[in-house]
Amino acid sequence: MAVVPFDRSVLKVNQAILMTVIVAGYAVGLAYHLAAWVLPVLAVMMLAAVASPSFNVPRLLYLRLLKPAGIVRARVVQEDPAPHRFAQLVGGVFLAAASIFVIAGLLLVAWVLAWIVAALAFLNFAFNICVGCIMYAQLVRVGLLPLSREPAR
Amino acid sequence: MILLLAPLIAIAVIGGVALVLRLQRGGQRELVGNVVEPSASRSRLPSILYFTGETCTICRTAQRPALRALADDIDPGIEIREIDIAVEPDLARRYRVMSLPTTIVLGPAGEVTEINVGFASGEVLRRQLVDAGMPVAA
Repeated sequence: MAVVPFDRSVLKVNQAILMTVIVAGYAVGLAYHLAAWVLPVLAVMMLAAVASPSFNVPRLLYLRLLKPAGIVRARVVQEDPAPHRFAQLVGGVFLAAASIFVIAGLLLVAWVLAWIVAALAFLNFAFNICVGCIMYAQLVRVGLLPLSREPAR
Repeated sequence: MILLLAPLIAIAVIGGVALVLRLQRGGQRELVGNVVEPSASRSRLPSILYFTGETCTICRTAQRPALRALADDIDPGIEIREIDIAVEPDLARRYRVMSLPTTIVLGPAGEVTEINVGFASGEVLRRQLVDAGMPVAA
């Protein structure tokens, strides 16, 4: 467990990207089914962000463009980043599963999974309700997950 | 056109999960404003119930130190009661504690004024105590 300074704006940018791309991809996908291939791209983006901060595209976008330009302000809080990283992992897994269904041609299932991710991202973005974080807390409580000791990214 | 169902199905799934979670949590927020544990000896000061447990690392590393620092800094008459949910499971059930740490701020009459699920900083707890009626030093 590491309660450290943590910039929530990185999460907000990530959630905004997810919502925008999924909703736009879905709208286009109603006419052009090829738009569903945006889901594997998002899955890679999410899982790469969990794997390493160097590959965290929303973070890089925020740090190199949005924050310096004053478009998004920093919102630094003292908290453990591990639950949020777990939530990102859950989102990435959902999108990876959606990608498999895209490859299998089951677009309805793929878009249902993607919409679940978009809706959860919206809950977190608008109301700070992090369902993945709740899952993390429950899994730690029952001993299925160890508490992270990693530093914030 | 069957794809039009995707957002509806997704929202239905999330709604279902949210309902189950809400039922499991027992609507803890509904406790706010109510006296859960009647007590004859209220001190006319707010108090804090701190729910913890042996397996809760964040309790030991963050919540307890924050509460100790807070206790050194406030009216000694304000009670901060540490409750191990393994020792007092009935109390945890009564306050519908589902995750650790949970800190509950009680008003002078024992009514629940705030519920913090997860780590709550000393600064947040102090503000909540003031809102619950703790006298502010001049």
